[in-house]
Amino acid sequence: MPGDAGSFPVVLILKAAVSSATTSDPLAVLIPRIAGGDRSALRQLYQATSAKLFAVCLRILSNREESEDVLQEVYLTIWRRADRFEADRASVMTWLATIARNRAIDRLRARGPLAVAAQIDAMEIPDKALGAESILEIAQSVEALNTCLSQLDARTQGVIRTAFFEGVTYEALAQRLDTPLGTIKSWIRRGLLKLRGCLEP
Amino acid sequence: MTEEAELPEDEALAAEHALGGLNAMDRANAEIRMAQDFAFARLVVAWRYRLAPLAAMLKPVAPSDDLWTRIERALPANDNRALRLWRGAAIGGLGLAAASMAAVAVILLQGPLAPAAPPAMLSARLDTVQGQHLFVAAYDPQKQAVVISSLVPPGTDPGHVHQLWLIPADGKPRALGFVPVGASIRIALAPPAAGLTDAQATLAISVEVPGGSKKEGPTGPVVARGALSKI
Repeated sequence: MPGDAGSFPVVLILKAAVSSATTSDPLAVLIPRIAGGDRSALRQLYQATSAKLFAVCLRILSNREESEDVLQEVYLTIWRRADRFEADRASVMTWLATIARNRAIDRLRARGPLAVAAQIDAMEIPDKALGAESILEIAQSVEALNTCLSQLDARTQGVIRTAFFEGVTYEALAQRLDTPLGTIKSWIRRGLLKLRGCLEP
Repeated sequence: MTEEAELPEDEALAAEHALGGLNAMDRANAEIRMAQDFAFARLVVAWRYRLAPLAAMLKPVAPSDDLWTRIERALPANDNRALRLWRGAAIGGLGLAAASMAAVAVILLQGPLAPAAPPAMLSARLDTVQGQHLFVAAYDPQKQAVVISSLVPPGTDPGHVHQLWLIPADGKPRALGFVPVGASIRIALAPPAAGLTDAQATLAISVEVPGGSKKEGPTGPVVARGALSKI
């Protein structure tokens, strides 16, 4: 009997039709195919995104093997959860980067408190050049975020970028900068508030 | 935008969690709250999406050549995928043109679909006898895996380990693995343990010397336990 289960893929198709018509995100067309069990679509997504996501994980974990384990989990998650992708809320790359970062930080925290001592190098601004494969829409959102970040004072920018790229705890940041935790958190909170105001005026 | 304003407490916590710097315990608490509080979860996700474009600034690094093969091998083979593959073929074949929608809908609605509803997730809060929550666990029967978060402050008692036990209806404890202090971990269950994990089972944590209990059941004291129940 055609019930709820039957209508589910129809919703997917409609979503796909809408999203491919209204966004310029070339990866978006792969998602409904992945949700439909198409391995070649997952492979295409992997080829288009794995080097970026690997960079995200590697930066946090500083270990290739662990980063590859995390990357494997990320693509398996996408395989199972492709139907959860919300095309109206994020680009595919944003969605993937969110999953990858989250998993990598989980892994970093699971190492235990010793992980805090791992990296002591000074805060570092990462590569500014966008990969050639970056599509216009992503480039625009990065550009907007960067512009807004650059309006913050250098110190606040530094802690936000370091927390984002390295996934270190606020406690570890406080230690590195020899600054009380409360101060670090208030820099971050104020910085993020300004960021939100700048991104969504 | 007002210069003096502050982020409301909920949103500040959501933003801190999304940025990723919470320690293991605060992170576990935030994740638990996300599972219970939809509005908070939306805030966190909105912040994650807001910040994620930064990741595009990192220079790409290629993973090992064989990683794709590993991933492809690990893809679940039989979770309705054959069926979904068929759907995928149907969708691909007809294309996504709006004109085809009705036809696709008819084909899909007539298909041999109606997969059974997935078995319910189970959860357990593992408390001390004094009622203090020390661990929170969820069991996904589809993936046959337990996710457990330790709320024990990191750095506590580094000389011992926390061993997780499943105590099914037969009352015999089965060792599932070790839970790092102040962190979350996913433990995949082997078939016998998975089959015994139901709403009649209890999860328990014992404190053991490194390497864990050498007996069939816990050697050290059981510090927390909690019954699994349907979410």
